Amino acid sequence: MNSNERLILHIDVNSAFLSFEAVYRLQHGETVDLRDIPSAVAGSQATRHGIILAKSIPAKKYGIKTGEPTWEARQKCPQLVTVPPNYALYMFCHNSLKELLKNFSDRIQVFSVDEFFLDVTGMPGADQPLELAHIIRKRIKKKLGFTVSIGISSNKLLAKMGSELKKPDAVSTLFPPEIPGKMWPLPVEDLYMVGRATSLKLRKMGIGTIGSLANCDLELLKYKFKSWGKLLWDYANGIESSAVSSSSRDTVKGIGNSTTVHFDVEDRRTAHQVLLSLVETVGMRMRFSGLCCRVIAISIRRAEDLTFYSHQLKIQTPIDSTTAIYEYCKRLFDEAWGGEPIRHLGVRVSDLSPAVHIQLSMFEKEWEKQKVIDRAVDQIRMKFGPGSVIRSNFLWSGLAPMEGGLSDDASYPVMTSIL
Amino acid sequence: MKFTCSQNNFLEAVLTVQKAVSARSSTPLLEGILLETQKDVLKLVGTNLDLGIETYIEADIREEGSVVIPSRLLSEIIRKLPDAEIEVTLLGNYSVKIVCLNSLVTLQGFAPDEYPSLPDISESEPIEISKMLLAKMIRETIFAVATDESRPVLTGSLLEVEDGEVTMVSLDGYRLALQKGRIESSAGHRKVIIPGKSLGEIGRIIDGSDDNISITISDRHVLFDLGYTRIISRVLEGEFINYRQIIPEDYRTRVKVDTKILTSSIERASLIAREGKNNLIKLNLQDQKMTITANSESGQVYEEIPVLLEGKDLEIAFNARYFMDMLKAIPDQEICMDLTTNVSPCVIRPIKGSDYTYLLLPVRIFG
Repeated sequence: MNSNERLILHIDVNSAFLSFEAVYRLQHGETVDLRDIPSAVAGSQATRHGIILAKSIPAKKYGIKTGEPTWEARQKCPQLVTVPPNYALYMFCHNSLKELLKNFSDRIQVFSVDEFFLDVTGMPGADQPLELAHIIRKRIKKKLGFTVSIGISSNKLLAKMGSELKKPDAVSTLFPPEIPGKMWPLPVEDLYMVGRATSLKLRKMGIGTIGSLANCDLELLKYKFKSWGKLLWDYANGIESSAVSSSSRDTVKGIGNSTTVHFDVEDRRTAHQVLLSLVETVGMRMRFSGLCCRVIAISIRRAEDLTFYSHQLKIQTPIDSTTAIYEYCKRLFDEAWGGEPIRHLGVRVSDLSPAVHIQLSMFEKEWEKQKVIDRAVDQIRMKFGPGSVIRSNFLWSGLAPMEGGLSDDASYPVMTSIL
Repeated sequence: MKFTCSQNNFLEAVLTVQKAVSARSSTPLLEGILLETQKDVLKLVGTNLDLGIETYIEADIREEGSVVIPSRLLSEIIRKLPDAEIEVTLLGNYSVKIVCLNSLVTLQGFAPDEYPSLPDISESEPIEISKMLLAKMIRETIFAVATDESRPVLTGSLLEVEDGEVTMVSLDGYRLALQKGRIESSAGHRKVIIPGKSLGEIGRIIDGSDDNISITISDRHVLFDLGYTRIISRVLEGEFINYRQIIPEDYRTRVKVDTKILTSSIERASLIAREGKNNLIKLNLQDQKMTITANSESGQVYEEIPVLLEGKDLEIAFNARYFMDMLKAIPDQEICMDLTTNVSPCVIRPIKGSDYTYLLLPVRIFG
């Protein structure tokens, strides 16, 4: 290896949401490991959002796909065990993994809730990268209970492609000399950033593998795909040079949560309660990410024609308290709502900043006490599950005390051309 | 209408009333200046409905009349004319002919009939205040006027008169600026909230002379009468924040510090601080000195200043820009800073007297 070459690891949790849930259940006395049986994380069918969010490897063997309706999955596999999503748990596992990885390097980039880049150039053990990666893999398995796939290379793209090579609980290298042997035979769809639309166009051009894309005429790609063509060609050739950037500012722009209510909401009180259940999750996510917001927005989808509108406000002092955000959401809703039946409600916070420096204001209420309550509630829910503490106004309401969809979560970009 | 006057006087008057004219308005009439002859003077008026300014200049009136002329064009033309006598004649269809030495310009104007007249204010006894004092009070408080509209009353400054004392207060939620002065007239207790935009223009119009200006307050308007010029502003309705409640009287830490030394230290620190997202400076008060630190991705600063420190040691953080805004408004060589905790306000007062009070809320640092 060249001396000024970097050494980058990509750490990817295997079947992340399902693994997190399985480990949590095993730690709390469950005897069956969800990972060993056909199982899936899925939204509830009764409440009109029943789709598969993550699946176990046995479930995959039945042909169950992420994103398909739960009823369809059940037709393929009647004994499928489904569990509801639990974002708080995912954030907890995410943070634990991040802390563990920090022991190996401080140059760490959160790429998504279950993916990290680690720049270990010059760090202890970097002269034996394979061994180092195995140490990390084993330590995660032992300490946190779930398995990861690790890719090793000299840039982020190749490390990410490398972690895909062997799953689960595995380590693979994909250094530039290995590209023709390990990456080029793969179907072109496996290349990072090749989505459905791009793949269709490439296939039409007779490009079926990453190798044929890499060896394609760059000018032709530029002609067909404009600037995108150059990026595709670079990626296929393993060319990528961005730094492992720890700046959270680049990744988290906003945190959103929305829900389709299982009946049409026609009164203000019920709408407020739905907003509260959304804010419960948003607030928790913010606190887990260590962020405060200054912009709060709500959105309303009408039941009648499914048209959509939203309303937002900017406040002086950044906040992360559930109650504080809820107070603003109530105000926004009351200002915006025209009184028509509502199908879908959403809450989104943005203009995020680390919760470390806050300019105090003469008017903004001090939410200090609320902060302590939030912290206590977060910890109880973490330990005993999200249903262990709920606000009493949800009793007999028929509404979920915490709505936590993953569908419109924008806190970590799942797909991005910026590595 | 036909008159002659000097280019100098005319330009000065046009520039004065133009301060009340919006560059873009819903109607072209409001983008213009009203010219109206009155016996042996010429009256000029500009207004945006929130603020109205009228001024009078000496002119040789040959024929009576009035017209509205687009403000921006008129001022640019008059500015470019030589320093000589100008003759203005109203032609048919509201076009205006301007002649000065060898130049002749005609401008298309508008009928003056629908030009809004400025409100008449004569309800109460006027307050007399020296121009110098008023200009100073505006200059040294206006920076703390709120720029966002979430609390409309805070987009103005409170002017309060009681027992021969006049007070001007601005606050935006993060900081407060208060100036006090003595006046002769004792017109009872009066208060009014004047929009910051109007105050800014008023501050620019009044010169620093020792003459008096008289202020008349009505329910909806306030009039600043300089004799030859009258400035009328809409007032902001509603109650101003009870600012006295916000200013603490007690303190646990008192610092006396040289204003100039503090200013230059914070200026240097803010060069680094402003590179960061929070523009943050940290003050540490201990052992008869104040250290100021700032760091961002671009670098670090450490400043040490000798101070007179009474009371408890304290570490506190502020937004550097807010701190600089305050210091720039203070002419005194030395100031007194009163502090309690690192999450309560810092109050800046003069060493002697109570001519001003500035208050700034700190930045809370977690973790």
